[in-house]
Amino acid sequence: MQLPRFEYVRAASLDEGLAALAKHGADAKIMSGGSDLLVNMKMRLDTPRVLISLGGIAELQDIEELPDGVLRIGAGCRLTDVIAHPGVSARFPALRDAVAAVGSRHVRNIGTLGGNLCLETRCWYTNQSEDWRKARDGCFKTDREACHVIKTASRCHAINSSDTAPALIALDASVVLAGPAGRRTVKVLDFYRDDGVQHTILAPDELLVAILVPDDGRRAVFAKLAQRVGLDYAAGSFAASLRGPADAPEAVRLVLNAVGAAPKALTESERLLMASGLTDEAIEAAALGARQSLGEVTNLFTPSGFKRRLVKALIRDALVTLRDQTA
Amino acid sequence: MKKLVQLNVNGDTHELAVNPDETLLGVLRNHLDLIGPKRGCDSGGCGCCTVHVDGKAVYSCMMYAVSAQDKNVVTIEGLGQNNDQGNGNGRELDPLQQAFIDAGAVQCGYCTCGVIMAAKELLDTVKNPDEDEIRHAIAGNLCRCTGYQKIVDAIKLAAAAV
Repeated sequence: MQLPRFEYVRAASLDEGLAALAKHGADAKIMSGGSDLLVNMKMRLDTPRVLISLGGIAELQDIEELPDGVLRIGAGCRLTDVIAHPGVSARFPALRDAVAAVGSRHVRNIGTLGGNLCLETRCWYTNQSEDWRKARDGCFKTDREACHVIKTASRCHAINSSDTAPALIALDASVVLAGPAGRRTVKVLDFYRDDGVQHTILAPDELLVAILVPDDGRRAVFAKLAQRVGLDYAAGSFAASLRGPADAPEAVRLVLNAVGAAPKALTESERLLMASGLTDEAIEAAALGARQSLGEVTNLFTPSGFKRRLVKALIRDALVTLRDQTA
Repeated sequence: MKKLVQLNVNGDTHELAVNPDETLLGVLRNHLDLIGPKRGCDSGGCGCCTVHVDGKAVYSCMMYAVSAQDKNVVTIEGLGQNNDQGNGNGRELDPLQQAFIDAGAVQCGYCTCGVIMAAKELLDTVKNPDEDEIRHAIAGNLCRCTGYQKIVDAIKLAAAAV
């Protein structure tokens, strides 16, 4: 597949990257590892006039353990480097599992954590070549006010398939965004918008620079089901965290992804587990409640009905694992 | 507008004028005549184009050639000991390549160069990998002929030989 023509700008520092972004604005696209962007460019879902590569910015590639226990991961850290970092494996095994679930080793060798958080949303219509898509009319993501997946939709429902997002949300992590006016820190959950076309709050002149993972004594699990282990996007992914004893939790966080344009915090099910602890009955009820709260479910490779059943099983199994490892 | 890039490929340095939209795979095949990496799905899913960049297996169809500036690229042509006396026949096979021959792990051969490069990274980083590690390492490489068993056998054979 021939790639569309563009101008290539390699930023040597964060300031250079921000300056290039300010200059080219909406014509530009940011490239970190490029494993997601190149596919979208080949499929003509993205045709930027200017490509700004962040691959040469050393300050985006550090992993630091800060004095207050926070792990600060540069957005440009390669996924394999995140997995290999001793602090990640020892203190945040659920994050390591989520990162290891992304793509194949080849993808993790070039893909970055920031890139996975910004992963473009997809559905079965947009995940096709331009010629295939042309055989039907366009959609919200291309050139028409319509959705092929959910016919009655008034916005884009393409799926957020980031595996690291639910794990980071369960761990109460934040992202640091840098723009011309300075930096701001937002919770990963608030980083996302429930709209497949514009699925993050990242402003056109902003860059994602770091991920902050606090260590507040939470234990967490991550679970993903995909057609093939080690290559496919999730049919469903789920992360849960727990602070305190399993029968009387101090905090519970449940996050589901790959069911819509934004990761979904399962607040009702969280309340249920907070009230009665992680008993078999409460886990069953939390999983069922999650399934019933889903609303419209977008699909990529698997039918929506299958996804709903899958979600329930995925949540139940993961919560049992979480309870048993903390008992 | 073309950009001048310096690529280190299989130990040789090349200075090339490439378009920013040319992938590393395209440059290796079309400019440098290195046809070991194959064009398969061309979208990061089949693994035929796998090469090493700074010792790590990557899809060369998923990387712009301009991004490989100053990095060390190794294709299957760069494996093994070079004992070349100038007649072009002096390259000794890597134990992994020999193992693929010995185990009969090649059928049509289209995926082979990519699988070997993925397995090479594993053997470079893990001593005596178990079957699970082997299968995970080559999870990003599709083979439509062998059913993978003989490929896994070959990698085990090579691991024992190294």
